Amino acid sequence: MEERKEVISLTEIVKNYKIGAEVIVKALRSVSLTIYKNEYVALMGPSGSGKSTLMNILGCLDTPTSGEYILNGQIVSKMSDDNLAQVRNKEIGFVFQTFNLLPRSTALDNVALPLVYAGFSKSKRIQRATEVLKSVNLEDRIMHKPNELSGGQRQRVALARALVNNPSIILADEPTGNLDSKISIEIMGLFEEIHKAGNTIIIVTHEENIAKYAHRIIRLMDGEIASDEVNPDITKYEKNIAEVVNEQ
Amino acid sequence: MAGREDKYAKRRLKTSYLSTIVGVTLVLYMLGLLGLIVLHAKKLSDYVKENIGFTVFLNDDVKDVDVIQLQKSLDARQYVKSTEYITKEKAAATYIKESGEDFVTFLGYNPLPSSLEVRFGADFANSDSLKILETELLKNKSVKEVSYQKSLVSAVNENLRKISLIILGFSCLLLIIAIALINNTIRLSVYSKRFLIRTMQLIGATENFIRRPFILKGFVQGIIGAMVAIILLVFTLYFAQKEVPELRELQDAALFIKLFVFVTLMGVIISWASTYLAVRKYLRIKTDYLYYH
Repeated sequence: MEERKEVISLTEIVKNYKIGAEVIVKALRSVSLTIYKNEYVALMGPSGSGKSTLMNILGCLDTPTSGEYILNGQIVSKMSDDNLAQVRNKEIGFVFQTFNLLPRSTALDNVALPLVYAGFSKSKRIQRATEVLKSVNLEDRIMHKPNELSGGQRQRVALARALVNNPSIILADEPTGNLDSKISIEIMGLFEEIHKAGNTIIIVTHEENIAKYAHRIIRLMDGEIASDEVNPDITKYEKNIAEVVNEQ
Repeated sequence: MAGREDKYAKRRLKTSYLSTIVGVTLVLYMLGLLGLIVLHAKKLSDYVKENIGFTVFLNDDVKDVDVIQLQKSLDARQYVKSTEYITKEKAAATYIKESGEDFVTFLGYNPLPSSLEVRFGADFANSDSLKILETELLKNKSVKEVSYQKSLVSAVNENLRKISLIILGFSCLLLIIAIALINNTIRLSVYSKRFLIRTMQLIGATENFIRRPFILKGFVQGIIGAMVAIILLVFTLYFAQKEVPELRELQDAALFIKLFVFVTLMGVIISWASTYLAVRKYLRIKTDYLYYH
């Protein structure tokens, strides 16, 4: 049997926040977790469960108080800010509820931006960004600015930007939070395709129906993993979109 | 519609850029204006101090050669700005001219002694230094008496000290206000780009890479603000001198240039430091706080 490659390995991750002089909030209490290549994971939990803190640590936006985080073979838990920026650029693709696109740049420029930081030449940047935009079906919107695109199209641009560097993981924080149900299904369909293409996806959400698209669901409660299960009832885009179309 | 939104966004950006520069300019102008007042006040106080009368009355039997020697020895001292020898005849002529009475003819002799009028540098013109010089001069056989208005010297120095303290207090206050206002204006401008900073951070830009354009912009805003403020200051100076021509007496080009360099440096340093700190804040802040802080 083929051995699965570990992409993320968290060992006893603790994150404490100091509020004022004395109060310490224990946002994460000893979280250990392994995510393998090409897994599709949903991270769930109510508000205050430590979901955002875990996402910040997974996304190298924050470092843990204690514990070890290995991302694609590199120990990132003790890295400097500049090294973490490099890791974010090469290993992680972010997708957010608010899209986080540069408002005055075209879709092409937005997607090509991570390649600027990675040091690609202009012609290579344009070539690669165009390819990825085509893969999310936005070839006819390449020169449009975010305010000329619909919510779904903006999220596609964000997805293309997340994919452009061939990252080890795609980290999506409530990716459908700002979209209506039909567009949400379309975006989840796109995630399904990206997963099929061999990418590792982690979706942070509080919506059960969105989490159902993932193959593994991890639930957090009070800074600890409350459950970590394989999803027995994976929602398929084809089936779901057909149901929505029929309803309409 | 998107085109209109784009135009609106561009206009808003220009307005915010312009309002930051206007804010920086006005604060630097106020700072420079206070600087000009301080410089003029210093010059005025020097002028007053340097013109405090110090008269060395000489004995009647003093020879011209002794007077010239004493005058030369006084002129050689660094703190003496100028000396003037007033002979008995000249003193009498001045008195007759001022009073209109020919007292020499009336008395049959000239009772006025010859004297040396001494003017000091501003730094020396205080009662302690003058007292030491008075003691020293009185030991000289040619000197009969030394006269100066001790109370006037003390009063001038005391008043100037008080005025200097008040101006210094105002300068410090205005400097704090300048730093606070420029800092606030720049922080607001950086605040409006907090999501842009976060986006750049998410896609892997290093902190320096993100900071660079902001710092450059802060630097340019500081320079432009300072230049406009200096132009306004030059105009103010021109109109002030036109209205009060006596101000020209107090003019010192070298000091003005130093003040303008100071204004420029303040503009650049405050803008640079405020931009650096504001951007650092948004580089360190958690995403959730971007919406509420």
